[in-house]
Amino acid sequence: MTTANDVLNALESAFPGAIQDAKVKFERQLWATVKPDKIVDVCKYLTNNHDFDHYSGAAGVDRIDEGLFEVTEMLASHGAHQVVALLKVQTPRDKPSVKSLTGLYWNANWYEREIWEMLGINFEGHPELYPLLLTDGLMGAWPWRKDFKGYPDYTTGERAVEMLSSDGYSEYKIGPMDAEVESGAYPYEKPEYPTFREREEAEIKSESEMIFHMGPQHAVVPGPFLLDLLVDGERVRKAFLDIGYIHKGIEKIMENRTYMQGIPITDRLCYMAALSNNESYCGSVERLLGIEAPERAQYIRVITQELSRIQSHLLGTAEFLTLIASAVYSPFLYMIIDREDVLTLIESVTGARINHSFVRFGGVRNDLPDGFAEKTKPVLKMVREKTEEYKELFLSDSIYRKRMEGIGVLSPSEARRLGVSGPPLRASDTSYDMRREDPYLLYKDLDFDVITRKEGDSKARVEVRLDEILESCYIIEQCLDQIPEGSIQEKLPKRIKPEPGEAYYRVEDPRGEMGFFVVSDGSDKPVKVKARGPVYAYFQALPPLLEGVYIADVVAIAGSMDSCTSEVDR
Amino acid sequence: MGISDVIPIPVAIDEELEKWTIWGRPLTDIWFTTVEKIHEIIDMGPIKNVLNWGRKNSLWFLMQPMGCCGVEMLVFGCPPYDCDRFGIFPRGTPRQADVMIISGYITRKYLPAIKNLWEQMTEPKWVMSIGECAISGGPFYDSYNIINSVNKFFPIDVYVPGCPPRPEKFIEGFRALQEKIKQREDLRGY
Repeated sequence: MTTANDVLNALESAFPGAIQDAKVKFERQLWATVKPDKIVDVCKYLTNNHDFDHYSGAAGVDRIDEGLFEVTEMLASHGAHQVVALLKVQTPRDKPSVKSLTGLYWNANWYEREIWEMLGINFEGHPELYPLLLTDGLMGAWPWRKDFKGYPDYTTGERAVEMLSSDGYSEYKIGPMDAEVESGAYPYEKPEYPTFREREEAEIKSESEMIFHMGPQHAVVPGPFLLDLLVDGERVRKAFLDIGYIHKGIEKIMENRTYMQGIPITDRLCYMAALSNNESYCGSVERLLGIEAPERAQYIRVITQELSRIQSHLLGTAEFLTLIASAVYSPFLYMIIDREDVLTLIESVTGARINHSFVRFGGVRNDLPDGFAEKTKPVLKMVREKTEEYKELFLSDSIYRKRMEGIGVLSPSEARRLGVSGPPLRASDTSYDMRREDPYLLYKDLDFDVITRKEGDSKARVEVRLDEILESCYIIEQCLDQIPEGSIQEKLPKRIKPEPGEAYYRVEDPRGEMGFFVVSDGSDKPVKVKARGPVYAYFQALPPLLEGVYIADVVAIAGSMDSCTSEVDR
Repeated sequence: MGISDVIPIPVAIDEELEKWTIWGRPLTDIWFTTVEKIHEIIDMGPIKNVLNWGRKNSLWFLMQPMGCCGVEMLVFGCPPYDCDRFGIFPRGTPRQADVMIISGYITRKYLPAIKNLWEQMTEPKWVMSIGECAISGGPFYDSYNIINSVNKFFPIDVYVPGCPPRPEKFIEGFRALQEKIKQREDLRGY
């Protein structure tokens, strides 16, 4: 199997002089700085010759002391090997511009758009550099730059001014006001771009077409997002997604907190998978510190994270089954009752129902309570029985099957191209699971199957989730049998100051590939934290998936992705 | 104008009727009344207490999950916590809802949308602020995109602290709102 060293040697011989300070870190990661004019060629070479067909994301770092912006492109492979390539491109701070990778990887689109609107780095050759998360008022302020004077000047609450529109409705103008910008109190140059509405309306080609809004408020999906459908009769011709309704700026906030204070913020990234987010962030900082959790702590982490996966899949499936047959409320009620039992177990360990802040650098906060194994086993038995029952009840029911079968089919090659991960990718016959591909914690020693399905439709995604619940039960039982005695926390100084450097750590979230990219400069606060979430990729894949379907099937497709808007918006 | 102008009755009876009062007001005032006047009268009298008793026992809330508290809100509507026993029931559309729960962070982009939802709801209506984010910005108080003074935009009757509050806390918040409606101390004055 290809190792990181093989790739490194091949790259250096193919592009002499273009690759600087290349090194292999953490066994499977290849870090290199690539000359800006060569980045597209290097990526093309890696894709064609070394199977780097998974574009995992990009992170922009503001190196204000050196007068540079740095864009880190993350590449991986869908199962051909386990190497992750992290290629850095640097660009001067006064006129930042980097070559776009959208020509090579379809899903580079949103990652680059986000870096453009947050940092102001121009991407040459990007087809649609429009705002994604921010409102018009903040465009041109470049909030992720280190010299952004955000708080309290741009904080909205005190500055919002209510104004009556010509129709009599109240509208809000949130500072800075036009007069302030004109007088030069808030100097910024606003980039020019068509608004979301103008882009939609430009697509209307005939009299019979209209725009159909779904959102931003939805009854069951936790989190607002706007899905605009351009419909011709009953068919969707094109879909437009507008996100950022709950964009909180988590990555910027974490730059202003110490490493320890960052852990509670990662909880709120996606409250359905709080423990996986903790794990991903803590694992990344652990790599910076060069430590590893003791064995007992690793077992506790695996147990809690698998319990968390069970509760997340239960709620995700419940939401979906309610969405597609709204009059039938029972799946939601049944699964929530089961989920409460699992939550009680997690609560007995972590002390919280959904936002745990449980994982620590080099360990966990506290040990398992007394008699945890005895309390867990009956719950797992119940969850198993119930899951089998749900499979029989809902997946063999003719009404549910009519709504799910053959809907939103993703072929394996299409799923890889769109960059989705987790259950939707595994439902499309691609065995890609971070627990196997990038083994972390104890997963390389544990026995479990990666669940896959061949069909790639909505039903396959639900089946994968329900089967993963069974697999998680099996993993927890193994851990409970094998868990050793010992310490649960490495000794660490109170104030953590990692060595300067970068680290990237991926875990398998209930929804897919979750990675944290952390940059340290030797101080007690991170320079940059980038969360690469799975739902961001799902959302990006939604508009092409919705083209040409019936309006009634839109919910059956979007719901089967098990979305969590909070993680998309961050 | 006397009653005899509308209904053919002897003038003597009309003069007699003009002397009659109901709750301190001349009867003729009430006879030729408008909707506003009826409401004025209801406001004075004990009918209002009966109406509020009905309102407080059928608080249908708008299902509008926005964040971590939104997940707890979904659970709050389900059998383990069973809000139906207090007459509290989730609704998917603002047109049918009485209570709006702000269950998370309000951002610059979402403020106009949530204000629209509030305007779409029919009277009488109340608003609750649940979770730290909806009270003061919570863990995101120093973000560039968060509005941390929600009470400036909505007449919030009940604040439920917690990050996120447990579903039991939701029940407590609704009980507090019911008590406020019963005592006629809610901000919009129903």
